[in-house]
Amino acid sequence: MSLTFKIAWRNIWKHKGKSLVIGFILFIGALLMTVGNGIISGMEQGMADNIVKLFTGDIVLISDEQESDAVLFGNMGGKPLKVIKNFEAAQKILAQETMIEQYLPVAGGMVMVLNEASEMEHTMLLGIDIHKYQQMFPDSFRLTEGRLFKPGERGILISEKYRKESYGLMDFWILPEDGELQKNNLTKEALAAADNLEFKRNLVFMGASTSNSTVDVRVPVKGIISYKSLNELWGHYCIVDIETFREAHNYLTGSQPVVQLSTEQETLLQDDSLDSFFGTDAVIEEQTTSEENYSVESLQELTKKEATTVYNPDAGSYNLVFIRLKKDVSQKEAVAQLNESFQKEKLPVRAITWKDAVGVIGSMAVLIKGALFLFILFIFFVAIIVIMNTLSMAALERISEIGMMRAVGARKWFLKKMFVYETGILSFFFGGIGILMGVIIIYILQAARFTTTNEFLQLVYGGDQLNPLFTGSDLLIVVSGLLIVTLIAVLYPLKVVGKIVPLDAIARE
Amino acid sequence: MNVIEITGVKKNYPLGTTTVHALRGVDLQVAKGSFLSIIGPSGSGKTTLLNIIGCIDSPSAGSAKIQGHEITALNDRQITDLRLHKIGFIFQTFNLIPVLNVRENVEFPLLLMRKYSKKEIDTRVEKLIKGVGLSEYIAHKPAELSGGQRQRVAIARALVTNPDIVLADEPTANLDSETSEAILQLMRDLNETEKTTFIFSTHDPEVLKYAKNIVKIKDGLIVGQE
Repeated sequence: MSLTFKIAWRNIWKHKGKSLVIGFILFIGALLMTVGNGIISGMEQGMADNIVKLFTGDIVLISDEQESDAVLFGNMGGKPLKVIKNFEAAQKILAQETMIEQYLPVAGGMVMVLNEASEMEHTMLLGIDIHKYQQMFPDSFRLTEGRLFKPGERGILISEKYRKESYGLMDFWILPEDGELQKNNLTKEALAAADNLEFKRNLVFMGASTSNSTVDVRVPVKGIISYKSLNELWGHYCIVDIETFREAHNYLTGSQPVVQLSTEQETLLQDDSLDSFFGTDAVIEEQTTSEENYSVESLQELTKKEATTVYNPDAGSYNLVFIRLKKDVSQKEAVAQLNESFQKEKLPVRAITWKDAVGVIGSMAVLIKGALFLFILFIFFVAIIVIMNTLSMAALERISEIGMMRAVGARKWFLKKMFVYETGILSFFFGGIGILMGVIIIYILQAARFTTTNEFLQLVYGGDQLNPLFTGSDLLIVVSGLLIVTLIAVLYPLKVVGKIVPLDAIARE
Repeated sequence: MNVIEITGVKKNYPLGTTTVHALRGVDLQVAKGSFLSIIGPSGSGKTTLLNIIGCIDSPSAGSAKIQGHEITALNDRQITDLRLHKIGFIFQTFNLIPVLNVRENVEFPLLLMRKYSKKEIDTRVEKLIKGVGLSEYIAHKPAELSGGQRQRVAIARALVTNPDIVLADEPTANLDSETSEAILQLMRDLNETEKTTFIFSTHDPEVLKYAKNIVKIKDGLIVGQE
């Protein structure tokens, strides 16, 4: 053990009171920093896990005409999202990109919910092709009542959150069209009014197009869903079949009616010559009359066209594409590469990260980290002042001892080193205990599995459950923080020590 | 050969709006192996003179050469090294390091020198501790020792680097007469055997009988030498 370290170590034990004061502050700072960073890391990880894996994928494709990137929560009540033009060409690029694992074109936006009894309310809709959606996000939600709509079928899946909200706002309880009332799913208020509940099994939406024209669409409720995670946040969105969404927003739909023509009609259409229609060679060569009764019904029956609908969702419009990247592909690099490809092909689309797409929600971790950083900074500022003061006092109290050391030949740096060691040992020991305790608390919090339905807390948790993490980078941040505090706190005391001369020691005997 | 050459040294201290003239032109030469006592009443300038000789204070005017080094021309680091290698101090209030035991206090200057092996340090330290009669207290902390024992530790610490000059400011002021005699006898013996120059201040007439040379100082001036 070096002489300096030995003296520093024994001085810590000799001045236990001061050591404990400094140590306690360092302990609290390290503890708070560890737990705080753990919660934020858990939040970041939770956000990434829940939003990326269950809702948006890593990257979101939007129209380049879209002003703001915050397309999912940023424009509630704002302008409708711009349609992605030339989606077919964009799709080709997506299909060719080797870093993309899967992608899902959807349409998102807000609609008004028409209601005879009260004022209009609104909800967010995500128009999807159910088959493709389930392939990309199989665990996104669970059905609590009713059933899913089938591919090509019209229908809406109402989120539990929206059903509860709509009851509060519009006094009706939404049920699936074929479903029975399940009393255990009622809210407390709805249960109290269970005997007089008004039920709605379909909803009328009024979407707004970019040209400000509106279309009312009635859609049957097929099921009630609960999102697997972040239900309070994602519950703002109900899921509707893509065609209903498009109709409500005056988008180009993918359902093209096909009329079944007779052989005679097809022959006529195959003939390019207009003379065939108006020439002398009449199609009807002989006209006879009969006594048949031409009622409206019989005429309708006679003129009925055999028509079917060809369902091709990709033939219609989308305004969002959720993209999932392959493992270990950097989001930032993928965004850059995609945008480069789109620009090269002069396509009016742009790729953004999921964080940008969800707006302020994606930045929550950064915001809360910033708030925690300020709080820790305040704690450390207080710590620096207290440690600085305590060490300066210690230096002045030991002035004759330090002066004597200088007199017998100790250089200034030797004495300064002694104080650096003292603070360093305290920082290492008490800071270390603080970190250790913080890690233990993080594990306890993990084991406790605290869940919440509070919207804000869900953001803080990064999901429904508090799941703090402690990573290597968190450890590095805490250790760096302690190191900085130690060095700053010791600066002034070192100046005090440096000014002590042998004569001071003797003069104060 | 003179180990100390003081010429026209003055020392002034500002005290509020006035200036205290602690030394007012002192000339002093001390030969190697001297056992010199500086005597004088309180406030006469004894301690100031010792501080300048010990390089822990600098003169306001004049020249002070220690082992040929003009101390006013040296920087802090050089002066510190000069103190470490050439001068030993024995303070009136012992000034030991409270967290170190007897052995560690004595070896402290040697560790600062960083030129001796562990074995050399142990041999030297143990010999000196035995010399001052504290072998059985080698692991004791200063707080566990009497005043006389502490002063003997201070003497051992002052001598452990084998300095050319040992300065002692009223080394017996806080000791009983029996211990004082023992300490002075020890210093005298070391002076005889090691030819170490001892300079000590005192105003105790009992101490003077051990001195080979006496310098009388009054009002910042040397008024007599014997």
